[in-house]
Amino acid sequence: MAASNHIETAAAGAGTGAVGIALVIAVELIGAAFLRQFLLVEDWRIIVGMLGVFCAALYVLQSRPALENRIAEAFSEHRRLATLLGAVIVLMFPFVLEQSTYALHLCVLSLLYATLALALNFQLGSANIPNFATGASYGIGAYASALLAVNLGVSFWLALPVAGLVATIFGFLLGLPSMRTRESYLALVTIAFGVVVHQLLNNLEFTGGPNGLVGIPAPELFGHNFASPLVVFGYSLPSQANFYYLSALLVLIAILFADRLHNSRVGLAWNALRADELAARCQGINTTWYKVLAFAVDAFLAGFAGTIYAFYVGFISPDNFTFLVSVTIMTMVIAGGMDNILGVIVGAVLLTLLPEKLRAFSDYRILFFGVTVIAFLMIRPQGIFPQRLRRYGG
Amino acid sequence: MSTLVLEGEGLTMRFGGLVAMAEVDFKLNRGEILGVIGPNGAGKSTLLNIITGIYKPSSGQVRLEGDKLTGIPTHKIVERGIARTFQSSRLFGDLSVLDNVIIGRHVHTKCGVFDAVFRRGRAQRELKESAAIAEDLLKAVSRELYEQRHRPAAVLPQADRRRLEIARALASEPKVLLLDEPSSGMDDNDTEALITDIRAVCAARPDLAMIIIEHDMHLVSTLPHKVMVLDYGEKLAEGTYEEVRKIPRVQEAYLGRKAVENA
Repeated sequence: MAASNHIETAAAGAGTGAVGIALVIAVELIGAAFLRQFLLVEDWRIIVGMLGVFCAALYVLQSRPALENRIAEAFSEHRRLATLLGAVIVLMFPFVLEQSTYALHLCVLSLLYATLALALNFQLGSANIPNFATGASYGIGAYASALLAVNLGVSFWLALPVAGLVATIFGFLLGLPSMRTRESYLALVTIAFGVVVHQLLNNLEFTGGPNGLVGIPAPELFGHNFASPLVVFGYSLPSQANFYYLSALLVLIAILFADRLHNSRVGLAWNALRADELAARCQGINTTWYKVLAFAVDAFLAGFAGTIYAFYVGFISPDNFTFLVSVTIMTMVIAGGMDNILGVIVGAVLLTLLPEKLRAFSDYRILFFGVTVIAFLMIRPQGIFPQRLRRYGG
Repeated sequence: MSTLVLEGEGLTMRFGGLVAMAEVDFKLNRGEILGVIGPNGAGKSTLLNIITGIYKPSSGQVRLEGDKLTGIPTHKIVERGIARTFQSSRLFGDLSVLDNVIIGRHVHTKCGVFDAVFRRGRAQRELKESAAIAEDLLKAVSRELYEQRHRPAAVLPQADRRRLEIARALASEPKVLLLDEPSSGMDDNDTEALITDIRAVCAARPDLAMIIIEHDMHLVSTLPHKVMVLDYGEKLAEGTYEEVRKIPRVQEAYLGRKAVENA
């Protein structure tokens, strides 16, 4: 009797295991197929229909927390499978886009914005620091690397870390005056910083003023120029694919950063700061230092994203890095889900694609964009994928 | 070797024209519990805020084992060995119970951004150790609390929130623990349980000194070795509970002049 019970529980365990595996595979494949269709479709009715389906899916998740927990459980149980399949999907994705350069371009932009949103998430999501200057850090990274490349002929691979460093230094500089302020006043300081950076880029001689910088050479790797098509096993992909893989790598780095910091003493200290600053100080947390640190980490990743952007489009001007860019990044974090890596990425992809896919509405597209974001937030007030509690070894 | 742990000398706190605390002295020995009582606005919380460095006193100083604390930022004072709880419990509500206690270990852990990103093994090991210590601490403070360690702190009932705050404060392995009205918002049963818990904490840590701010006279009469009475920022009296409660000025401060005359 006991033996049969044992077998039964084992079978049940295997059963849930198989269901879990199937669930992970299904969710990832459906997600990828949905994204591919959304990228390629041009008829506005289908686009609106797909958005409706997405909202419905969110609604189901919101009204059935058990289902959401089951999916989350399956993913944490089969973490390795989920990661592996995700990697394969990301690697294969350019091959299923029917050579569409536009779709690939949108993918690159989405990935760059995903990095920026992950960068801001360290501040807004983890530590609740309303930083409206991520766009400025993005610009500083872009300009630093572009200036190096255009004036000194520095290669992309060297310009990348240097730009990250320069942006980090500026992040520190922004962090210092911000230490003395809090909440709305802190937001004001960051807005001012963003405006100052934009004005400087616009008016300085060596940044090219409003005309910006042109002729940033495409990066090269082992003799392969990133401006030329990428040929894999005889299959030729448009040149955007080079940058697709580069920015995918950047997102991967950003995810590693985010995941490791989140599950560390630093992430906990940031979360403590977010919940109650005075109580955090009374646990021995140097709140000033951790705030400045969040500014620096944010600027570092944003600087990286800026560099890739500059080398990707080959031309940058101050208008690429306005206050509006910072606000968009902030919306991505809030709509996607504060302090949830997956949520932030989904938010970034969605909010990058929306204004592009709503072009059929011409002048009204920003209106529709706003309405969609409001709809998401009404269905899922805490973001598409809200924060989850940490677990330690079972 | 002296058994004196914490002392305050001539502590004065002025906010503009308002004197919130005037020339208060106190001494706290190792393993001793000092109760601080007084009517609302007497300066009890001000005293804790001065000790923990949230306020910088207008004059006077606080010394921990002979080292001056005045002027040192709050987070450094925690490092030196002073932990506190708050009158209105200030937990990290959206984090799990366990995370709250792990954050309490902050001063005993070291991993920064570099370790977290590039030396993951080290960071993970440190965090696991912290988690294990935090779990033991929770078990010791309350078995029920330990069972709820993976729930968000915000959903706990009042008594458990207070226990968690004490556990979080103990996680920093303090020499001095400051409790700001631990029984506020509790009924008699909860207060009784709290007294038992605090006794257990003291029994496990014979060297731990405590300052407890309280209104609940039952708690004040049982736990503290000595009681200090504050009124309008001044020290009215100090002594054992039995001594202090007989002093007419203390009765006045608590009950009002009329009531004392009629008694």
